[in-house]
Amino acid sequence: MTNDNPIIETSRLSMRYEYATVLNDISLSVPRGAVVGLVGRNGAGKSTLLRCLVGLEEPSQGSAQLFNCPSLDLTDAVRERLGYVAQTPDLFEWMEVTEHLRTIGQAYPRWNEERCMVLAARMNLPIGRTVKNLSGGDKQKLAVVLALAHDPDLLLLDEPVSNLDPITRREFMRALFLDRASEEERGANKERTIIISSHLLTDLERVVSHVAFMRDGRLQLFDAWDSLLEHLRLVPQPTIDVPRAALVCKNPRDAQCVIDTRLAPEYADAGRILSLDELFEELNA
Amino acid sequence: MNFEITPTSPTPIYRQIVEQVRRLVASRKLGPGDELPSVRAVALHYAINPMTVSKAYSLLETEGLLVRKRGIGMAVADAHPESTQQDKFALLRPALMSAAQITRQLGISDSEAQTLFKSCLNEYPKEKKDDKR
Repeated sequence: MTNDNPIIETSRLSMRYEYATVLNDISLSVPRGAVVGLVGRNGAGKSTLLRCLVGLEEPSQGSAQLFNCPSLDLTDAVRERLGYVAQTPDLFEWMEVTEHLRTIGQAYPRWNEERCMVLAARMNLPIGRTVKNLSGGDKQKLAVVLALAHDPDLLLLDEPVSNLDPITRREFMRALFLDRASEEERGANKERTIIISSHLLTDLERVVSHVAFMRDGRLQLFDAWDSLLEHLRLVPQPTIDVPRAALVCKNPRDAQCVIDTRLAPEYADAGRILSLDELFEELNA
Repeated sequence: MNFEITPTSPTPIYRQIVEQVRRLVASRKLGPGDELPSVRAVALHYAINPMTVSKAYSLLETEGLLVRKRGIGMAVADAHPESTQQDKFALLRPALMSAAQITRQLGISDSEAQTLFKSCLNEYPKEKKDDKR
C-alpha cells in the first residue's frame, strides 16, 4: 500500500433527518488498495454512508471525496473508475440480462464484453432470461457483474452478497480480485480499493484488509484487521486501571473489556483474542 | 503444494501462510530453489485477498527464507542452512505453550494431556518422506 492520497476521504460527515441522526461526525480515510469491511447493526448508517460517498445523498454537514473529487460533484473521469452496488439495485426489469449488461457497458470506455461474460459465467448468472423473471439472488448477481465489468478502481458494495448462496459468495470474493492479482504481483500501482458492507462476517474475514465498525451513525473503530486480530484482547475483568485510550469498549452487562494492547502492553497476554464475530458483539453490547 | 488456511482462525491469514512456509522449509518439504505458488493462484484458490498473500511472501523474503525470481515469482532461498532439530523445536514450542496454558486453566492432569496429545498425533496422518508436493 502506498502512502499517497487516500482514495476515500470523509471529513466530519453528518446526516440528520427530522427524526434521527443517521450519520454522526464521520471522518474516514481509506488508502489505495484497502479492502474495507463496513460492519454494524441494521440502521447503524452503513448504507447512508455509502450513498453519501457516491454522491446520492447530500450530507447535512461535512464532506466526502473520492479520488480527491467531491462526492457531490463527481467528474465523468471519476465516475468511470467507480463500481457501486446499491442495497436494492435499480435494474431495467424489461431487458434480457445480456442486453442489460451491454446497455450499461456502453457507458464505460473500459468495459470489456469478454470479461463481463466470463464474470457472468463464473457467478452462474442466467444471461438469457428477462431481468424481471430473475430470482432475488440472480438480480443481486447481475448488479455485482454490472459493477465489476468495467474493471473499476474503486468498488462500493452495499450488502452485495446477502442473497447469494455460499458457493456463489466465494466466487464473488474471487471476482473482486480477478484481473487485479497479476498486476499487483508485477508491482504495478493499480490495486483496487473496495468498501463492502455485509453481515456475513466470516466471508469478510477472508478478504478485508481493514474493518470499519459503525454504531448509531458513528464510526466506532477503523483499523487494519490483522492489527486488530493481533492486538485486541477480551479481558473478563481488568484488575489494573486500563488507560482510557486503550479501552476499545466495555460491556455494560458483564464488565468485559476489549483492550488495545498496543496502548496497554501490560495486557498483552491477558484474556484472549477475539474473532470478528465476537468483536462485533462486544462493540454492540 | 497446498496451504492450510482457516480464515476464521484467531491467527491472521498472512501469519498462517508465513508459519506454514517456515515449517515446510524447516522440514525440508520445500528445498532451495523450489517455487511457491503465485500470489494470484493462492488468492484465487482460497478466495482471499491477494495482498494478504503478498504480505506473507514479502515478510518471508525479508527474513531471507524466500527470494523473488524475475518472471517466476517466489522461490526458496539457496543459502538456507539446514534447520537443526533446535530450529524445529522453536517453531513447535509456541503452539505447545498455549496448549500447556489451556491444560492448566482446565485443570487437566499432565498425564491426561500427554495421552491426548499422543492420540492427536495418531489422528493426523504421517506424511511420506518422498511426498514433496
